[in-house]
Amino acid sequence: MSHLDIELQQLKTETMKMWSLVNLQLVKGKDSLLKLDKDLAREVILSERRVNAYELKLDRDCENIFALFNPVAVDLRFVLAVLKINNNLERSGDIVEGIAKFVLNVDSNFDTKLLEITRVVEMYAAANNMMETVLEAFDKEDTSLARKVFQQDELLDDINIKANAIIADYIRNHPDNIDATLYLLSIIRKLERVGDQAKNMAEEIIFYIEAKVLKHRSKIEKNKE
Amino acid sequence: MNSSKINRIKDNAFKYFGIACTVFGLAMLAIFLGNIIIEGIARIDWAFITNFPSRNPDKAGILPALVGTLWIMGLTAVIAIPLGIAAGIYLEEYGKKSKLATLLEINISNLAGVPSIIYGLLGLEIFGRIMGMGGSLLAGASTLSLLILPIIIVSTREALKAVPSSIKEASFAMGASKWQTVWHQLLPASFGGVITGIILALSRAVGETAPLIVIGALAYVPFVPASPTDEFSVLPIQIFNWISRPQKGFAINAASAIIILLMVTFIMNGIAMYLRNRWQKKVKW
Amino acid sequence: MNKLDANNVNVFYGSNKVIKDVSISIKQNTVTAFIGPSGCGKSTFLRLFNRMNDYIDTFKMEGKIEIDGSNIYDKQIRVEELRKQIGMVFQKPNPFPKSIYENVIYGLRIQGIKDKKILDESVEQSLKQAALWDEVKDKLKDSALALSGGQQQRLCIARTLAVQPTVILMDEPASALDPISTAKIEDLIYQLKSKYTIVIVTHNMQQAGRISDKTAFFYMGELVEYDETKTIFTNPKQERTLNYVTGRFG
Repeated sequence: MSHLDIELQQLKTETMKMWSLVNLQLVKGKDSLLKLDKDLAREVILSERRVNAYELKLDRDCENIFALFNPVAVDLRFVLAVLKINNNLERSGDIVEGIAKFVLNVDSNFDTKLLEITRVVEMYAAANNMMETVLEAFDKEDTSLARKVFQQDELLDDINIKANAIIADYIRNHPDNIDATLYLLSIIRKLERVGDQAKNMAEEIIFYIEAKVLKHRSKIEKNKE
Repeated sequence: MNSSKINRIKDNAFKYFGIACTVFGLAMLAIFLGNIIIEGIARIDWAFITNFPSRNPDKAGILPALVGTLWIMGLTAVIAIPLGIAAGIYLEEYGKKSKLATLLEINISNLAGVPSIIYGLLGLEIFGRIMGMGGSLLAGASTLSLLILPIIIVSTREALKAVPSSIKEASFAMGASKWQTVWHQLLPASFGGVITGIILALSRAVGETAPLIVIGALAYVPFVPASPTDEFSVLPIQIFNWISRPQKGFAINAASAIIILLMVTFIMNGIAMYLRNRWQKKVKW
Repeated sequence: MNKLDANNVNVFYGSNKVIKDVSISIKQNTVTAFIGPSGCGKSTFLRLFNRMNDYIDTFKMEGKIEIDGSNIYDKQIRVEELRKQIGMVFQKPNPFPKSIYENVIYGLRIQGIKDKKILDESVEQSLKQAALWDEVKDKLKDSALALSGGQQQRLCIARTLAVQPTVILMDEPASALDPISTAKIEDLIYQLKSKYTIVIVTHNMQQAGRISDKTAFFYMGELVEYDETKTIFTNPKQERTLNYVTGRFG
């Protein structure tokens, strides 16, 4: 194995470690939301520092690989992809932290009925699932797996679009619980963005393996490719 | 006419001039050789080689002179080769910085240009008289050794110089001493060049007449020399002797002896060329 | 502890000062690259460590160079012994015009080792270490000159390894080779690092980046900057270094 291969392998391992951490954050965030477990929420907020540390480290690793090894072709795309995925992961980490902060701020439990009708739990699970899928695609260098994410993202979009009407309706009927309800709306918005991050990462994986740029294309096109 | 045309004409003019010069030299040699061969070839037979000199040209042979020549060649080789190679190695590899070495170098170059008769006088005085060798084979071989020493030294140095310095560096970098580098790398790699120089030097020694006459080599030797202290004759002296006789028969004998002498030197040159080619094929850089 | 130490070294060729007050410390089991433009003194400096400059008539040196704390220019030091400890690989592959086998054991042979078993073992081990064994194991008696340039260079490395040095100096070892052979040599250097201290002179900056832990930038006989290779290539402290590594030189 060449020296560069060893470096790239290490970079991949580090990226996957960061990724797993972000996924774990996401799961913890969900649990804290469902059980209104403020300790768990605090833990998520604290762990965000580790995500940030990973981001800095990956940035530096990428910089060193560019400077020392001058990677080309697939190696170059890989490092470029990692650089962007790193960014996406950090953003995802921020989003999950944001959700945890909402959980901290909420006084009372979320109404289970509200959770049910907004399908936020389902959404959370889907977002989580997307992240896991993209991680697996990254690990196995499997672009067909990465492409599945575009499909899964439609569910998030769907829930997000419907959420407005549902929340508005709910507030009209339960004006006493406005705070928590608005938080929930924000959480839904944030989860939708987690989905977007996952989608971006999938695009990066396809870019590095197949050298195809899928950004800013319609869903139909993406699935056709 | 532009300048490139003029240049081309000059170029061609020189080319034809060069060809003419070469042809002139070759033609002269061919005429000479042809003349000798026509005159002498018929006289060569086994008896000519195995007979002693005689007053009768038809019975005269070259045995003592031929054996003397071979003796001289062998003895000269034994004396001159170790001295020449050792001196060459010293000057090329060891003595580079010292003033003594510079002095030696200049003197060796000068020695190569000294007329051979002077060597004869030197040999006569030192080997013949002071060391008491008289007109023996040993005195002759020692004198000729002095004569060809500069040639061997110079050709050894050239051959050593032709070994790429990268080989020398590699050997030193492996922890080899100077002597180990010379012995394991430089000498094997330069062997072809060294041996060529030696053979060419020896074939020059074989053809030398003047120093040996000065030493006192005999024109008439009725015996085959058996040890280095014996007196002797060599082919060139035999030839010189016969040429200076008035009878036509001796002139023919001289021509025949010249053919034999030429054969000896040609064979030696041939061996030199063969060895050079063989070693060059073996050692490629 | 430092493996190699140079303190305030000046080198003169005649009256020409070619190395100007250079001090450098090199740690064990690292790869250190010397970079710089042609004529900057990096090769001259490298050759100080195994005293290969001694053969240059006008060479003169001031200062101290130490290996494991002992001065290699001390009168007590035998140069031949020193060179068994500090091997060298040259720019142009320079195998001896002998068989592959004889090339590898040359160092042992001149040490007077004759035991066939030891020699055989050394040949196999050295060639394996130099990643050449599989390519030549069936033709050890063939001439080394029949090998390709890259193979010859690896043979030269094997020959150096056979005497079990602790330091290997490399003077642009891949500059005469094609990219594939170069990559092989680079991988080899990377692997050898675990057992040897390697100092390499290179014209090729990318090569320095790929294989070295620390990089020293020489310019006009001066050591301009010496730091972690990562630092030299991402954030050099000296402007001259920056100009050189970014190709904006002169």
